[in-house]
Amino acid sequence: MTTATLSTQKPGGGLKRLVERHPFLPALLIALVLLALNGLYQPRSVSFIGITGLTKTYLALMMLAIAQTYVVYAGDIDLSVGAIVSLVNVVIVVLMEKMGGSGFSVVVALGVGLLTGLACGIVNGIVVAALRLQAIVATFATSIFFTGLALYVMPVAGTPAPAAFWRTYGGRFFEVPFVFYAVVVLAIVLYVLARTRLATQLLAVGDDAQAAFQSGLPVTKIRIQGYALCGLFAALAAFCITGDTASGDPLVGGKMTLFSVAAVVLGGSALSGGFGTVVGSIIGALIIGLINSLVFFVGTPSEWQNLVQGLAILVALMAGVLVGRRARA
Amino acid sequence: MSKLIMRGVSKAYGATLALRRGDLTVEAGEVHVLIGSNGSGKSTLCKVLAGSVRPDGGEILIDGKPVTITGPHAAREHGIGIFYQELSLAGHRTVAENICLPDMPGGIFVDRKALETRAARYIALFDTVAGEGFSAEAVVENLRADQRQLVEIMKALATEAPITIFDEPTSALDRAQVDRFFEILRDLKAGGRSIIFISHRMDEIFAIGDRVTVIRDGETVGTENIADTNPAAVIRLMVGGQEELAAGASAPPAAATDRKAAVLKAENFSGKGFANVSFEVARGEILGFGGLHGQGQSAVLRAIFGANPAAGGTITLGGSAFAPSNPRNAIRRGLAYVSGDRSRDGVIQGRPIIENATPIHYLRQKLKLARPAALAARVKPALEALHTKFGGLSHPINSLSGGNQQKIVIARWLIDRPDVLLLDDPTKGIDLSAKADLFALIRKLAEEGMGIVLYSSEDAELLNNADRILVFNGGSVRRELTGADRTRYNLYQAAYEAA
Repeated sequence: MTTATLSTQKPGGGLKRLVERHPFLPALLIALVLLALNGLYQPRSVSFIGITGLTKTYLALMMLAIAQTYVVYAGDIDLSVGAIVSLVNVVIVVLMEKMGGSGFSVVVALGVGLLTGLACGIVNGIVVAALRLQAIVATFATSIFFTGLALYVMPVAGTPAPAAFWRTYGGRFFEVPFVFYAVVVLAIVLYVLARTRLATQLLAVGDDAQAAFQSGLPVTKIRIQGYALCGLFAALAAFCITGDTASGDPLVGGKMTLFSVAAVVLGGSALSGGFGTVVGSIIGALIIGLINSLVFFVGTPSEWQNLVQGLAILVALMAGVLVGRRARA
Repeated sequence: MSKLIMRGVSKAYGATLALRRGDLTVEAGEVHVLIGSNGSGKSTLCKVLAGSVRPDGGEILIDGKPVTITGPHAAREHGIGIFYQELSLAGHRTVAENICLPDMPGGIFVDRKALETRAARYIALFDTVAGEGFSAEAVVENLRADQRQLVEIMKALATEAPITIFDEPTSALDRAQVDRFFEILRDLKAGGRSIIFISHRMDEIFAIGDRVTVIRDGETVGTENIADTNPAAVIRLMVGGQEELAAGASAPPAAATDRKAAVLKAENFSGKGFANVSFEVARGEILGFGGLHGQGQSAVLRAIFGANPAAGGTITLGGSAFAPSNPRNAIRRGLAYVSGDRSRDGVIQGRPIIENATPIHYLRQKLKLARPAALAARVKPALEALHTKFGGLSHPINSLSGGNQQKIVIARWLIDRPDVLLLDDPTKGIDLSAKADLFALIRKLAEEGMGIVLYSSEDAELLNNADRILVFNGGSVRRELTGADRTRYNLYQAAYEAA
């Protein structure tokens, strides 16, 4: 501790400033270490095909982590993101099937899917921000409601998505996998979003809602917009998962909810709000993905996989806290 | 025509009347000072104007036209800007973002360039005095207290509102910063803007003010031209016709207490928010801590009890040294602490009365298990001594009024008598009859040999109940009032003189 305190007085405070400006750096370090370990146990996992597969599988979780980040910005939380993923998944699959699975039907279904996600987000926002219910319980309740809707739309899992859809998601254009185009577009969208007035306002609300209100910000409206944005990204996550699994499943997103929260925290954002980055959450989702594949590659017996995964996530959380504290001290 | 007229504005929080009849008239191109003692209602009056509190009654006219202010946003549209005493900054955002937060330039996207240009204009105003590390890109959380206060000032200035309220804007600033700020205010005044200025420092009020309005007990009692008055006259207006020497027959003469029997002694005690505080409390004595809110009184009490860390100095308890470390330790050494913030420091919400009355008993007797009947036999006499009204010991504490809840919190200390009772504004939000019961009990406890330290933000309580009063100002003891000196006038004078 003493040495760490002394180092702040020295002019070499560059690391501190760097971590302060880019709070996701500790997470990036952990992700790189995990990637190296993956390569060590399974050299093919760091090949072009290996990375493509990883991106294809975990793009959905990245999208969901992004969704969660915008509500966490404002100090809120959304425990219904997984249920929104399930609902959008079954809505688009059923719609594409009903319309014959043509290219046109895919576009229409995706449009309806986005609107569904947006509507779910607005419902959450109204329940939490306008009706002032506790976010954690209110979104838990809406998650049950959304799951109920999903089960109504598709009572049993298994309806396949049309080939036009999943072939595109898993395919290549000019020798480059589709998911990489998706990642580039995503990066541009996030860059643009970070420059919106809304992003700053969400963070200001998360910092101190009372102060934001006294500064004349429309706090309720801002929080609803945060949830709406979250709903939109949850819909995108649903598109990714539909592309990856190529079928409809009314319970597909449920277990992703808390992973999205974990990814946000792993990425260095504060659950209390006001502080965080979207990039960090993406890296957080990547860390979870890399841990899962590493547990598989080192040959953990299947009955031990959950236990090892859980421990590994705990270690990653601790490492993130320690690295961050060291650098900032 | 006056720029702003507020007439008969009132506001009650539950049963507490924060503002009875607030009147204020402000002209264009003047700095109008608002002054009043703790809880007199001046901050409430400002919050009504700024839209963060809705008034119950009264009218507001701007440029002669009646207006209704529905919220902070509406207030801005009516041309009202405010500096909040408790600050309204987003800690993780930069200085520039905070300055422009109420009105971000741009549409969907933030116009970074416009934001930086606008922020730079206000940062430049304080260029020479802002100190090291202050820049447009600095994150507010990393700034010093005075620099954060400057950001809040810049934020208020950036609203460019025709009427700007400054609620204690200078409490953390140094001399040079205050001087610069006053120059800026004079420029604004010359430009025809109206400034409402709240401060507790007489020297500042007389340096910058044009007129002063005095509020006492939620009512406007008068407005004077600064040029035609003086600090003593203003303090007399704040004191009003209230009893000059409030200490009655109940208080024994201070000489009667034997100084040698000091039960609690602090020497050069320092910590966050206070420095070099020395005092003694004798058995049988009630020592009062007075002065404005937040001048270190509460911080001293919490540090002695070990609830907040202490930085230096020595504490002697019953003749032997005592190093405050944590409340558990303090309780074992015979200290008791009752706070006015019951929900934070006292009441165990939703639990039965008996559980709320016995935690200290468990700790001091090292009880692990106890029969309810045996506990009840100890709790009942303590509660009856306090005239506590309750349905049954198993009823939840939330079923009681604030005053009765506080009695139960006090009762928990009386089952095993402490040597010293630290009272940290204990009567906040409780009714008059409960207050009377409480002070009768405190006097009785003192007579039975307890040493008592009483901090109260209500000056009348102190003057009526304390044998001696230490007036705190800026984290240290400014003056000791004993015997016939215990007057409201002396108390205010010590509290309001330049720190």
